[in-house]
Amino acid sequence: MGTGMGMDMGKDAGMGRGTEMGLDRSIWARGLTRTFADMTAVDGVDLTIDSGRIFGFLGPNGSGKTTMVRMLTTILKPSAGSARVAGFDVSEQQGEVRERVGVALQEVGLDGLMTAREMLVLQARLFRADREQARATAERLLATVGLDNVDPKKRVGQFSGGMRRRLDLALALVNDPLVLFLDEPTTGLDPVSRSAIWDEVRRLNREKGMTIFLTTQYLEEADKLADEVAIIDRGRIVAQGAPEALKRGIGNEVVKFTFASPDAAARAGDVLSRQAPDRRLDGPSLLCYFTTAAGRLPELIRTLDEAGLALEGLTVSEPTLDDVFLQATGHRLSPKQAAGNGANGAAAEVGDAAGVAGAGDSADAAAEASGRRTSKRGRRR
Amino acid sequence: MNDIVLLVTRSLRNSLRVPAALIPNVAISVFFLFVFNSGLSSVANLPGFKGSYLAFIIPVSIVSASVGGAGNAGQLLIRDIESGYFTKLLLTRSSRLALVWGPMIAGAALLVAQVIIILLLGLALGLHSASGVGGMFVVLFYAFLWGMAFAGYAVAVSLKTRNAAAAEAATFAFFPLIFLSTTFVPKEYIGATWLKWAATANPTTYIYDAMRSLLIDGWQVRPLLIGAGVVLAFATLTGILALRQARRATQLG
Repeated sequence: MGTGMGMDMGKDAGMGRGTEMGLDRSIWARGLTRTFADMTAVDGVDLTIDSGRIFGFLGPNGSGKTTMVRMLTTILKPSAGSARVAGFDVSEQQGEVRERVGVALQEVGLDGLMTAREMLVLQARLFRADREQARATAERLLATVGLDNVDPKKRVGQFSGGMRRRLDLALALVNDPLVLFLDEPTTGLDPVSRSAIWDEVRRLNREKGMTIFLTTQYLEEADKLADEVAIIDRGRIVAQGAPEALKRGIGNEVVKFTFASPDAAARAGDVLSRQAPDRRLDGPSLLCYFTTAAGRLPELIRTLDEAGLALEGLTVSEPTLDDVFLQATGHRLSPKQAAGNGANGAAAEVGDAAGVAGAGDSADAAAEASGRRTSKRGRRR
Repeated sequence: MNDIVLLVTRSLRNSLRVPAALIPNVAISVFFLFVFNSGLSSVANLPGFKGSYLAFIIPVSIVSASVGGAGNAGQLLIRDIESGYFTKLLLTRSSRLALVWGPMIAGAALLVAQVIIILLLGLALGLHSASGVGGMFVVLFYAFLWGMAFAGYAVAVSLKTRNAAAAEAATFAFFPLIFLSTTFVPKEYIGATWLKWAATANPTTYIYDAMRSLLIDGWQVRPLLIGAGVVLAFATLTGILALRQARRATQLG
């Protein structure tokens, strides 16, 4: 396998773009849509991802991330629109696409009655490897994901969650893919396992030039791993770009005023409308975005004081992807922050960036439950 | 073809790793054989009844074994769907046909293994095959085709319901087919007209006829051809249903 070519997917990318410059590892979609009965899960998504990039697809639960992955990997037929992965149409050239992609879905799909080696060998053979090649691939991948020391007779049903996730990643790599899709690969993992997956993702991208399409609801994951991020909410992409550019786009600093109630925050928004034209309400907090905030703070506080609005808390921080999400959608992505705004807002706000990272670390059911709360909150608005 | 061999091997290996799921089915077939043979063997004394009752009842034991043996194909598939492994297989270069036929052939093969046990037990109980050892191999072949047909049904139901309990219930809905037929007595001894009609319309009757002709009468072309035609038509129908459900379930073109 060669290295990433960083090929540019131009407007003609969807029309039989060749691979003469090297291996095409790009992803391209126009108007990609999927409806289920009366619900539109993905709504006219346009994407252009260059070869060899790590692309973060960020959004809350139920925002359409998994549906997008399923369409791009030929598991699900789009209702409308078109997409090409590694140069092939996902609707018309499914076999070619499947040969070139690796997929690790959110639900780890393993057979508990088989051993890890048996699964890897079978998967490789179903990709047309002969017996010897398949065995060699299995051994190599077991070593890659750190499962080579596991008892060869141990069935997958006896594996821990982290081991299952690592085996799932190995299965996604069996065909030496050009494009790797990872659907929430670290959900439910402990910090050590999560870090190991991140390292492996970086290594695959760096050493193999693999394009990696990574869905996540963890801001920290997207921020740390991705060269480029698209934020999806309710089936639509609401923001896209490099994480740093997205954050810079809403200002260099975020001033967060916290009040006793959402009503007070709303009144503060009215009072500061002239001094802080770029602002958002977030529960009992008012977020104001500035290029530089330091010189403005005394004036802002004085204005609030004159209006009789008592401050409960004040933080100044760099914007996070959650701020980008809030700016674009009017609601928070990070469940912990959304919840924290009500009960212990001021305490939760200390060190905004760290707080967001912490939210990303909440795993398993907690994250799922909080995620649903965030979604509901979004719907109410 | 290679994909089918790989997937059949995997399904068989998995089935053998859960022997507890196979033993009850074998036990039920053997139980049927003993109970029916010992409880109803006096039927053989009726005027005009040809051959031994053991040879007459063995096909019932074989066909009833298909409900569990070949029905296992549906359960294998459900397990894969529920675990998400089926999606993993869909993402390979394997054909949809191989993904469906893998568990179907494995289910039919398991049925054949059960039938071998039943026939060996029958021989121990005094079974004499009028068509010799060759005829018993043909019985095995019919059992395999019937197993494929029933496995196709089980796979189609499993893909449709995607629920283990529902699929199991649907496969047991097949039991009336086994009994609304010439199960215990030849058609001429059935008194109720409706049951005679049901037996005539029931494809199972023709499988019984083909197997019984081999065990009781020797090589008879007509029942063998009719039996083969019925079982092939049935297998084709359920196979098409299974493939259609596979396409629908995976939403692929």
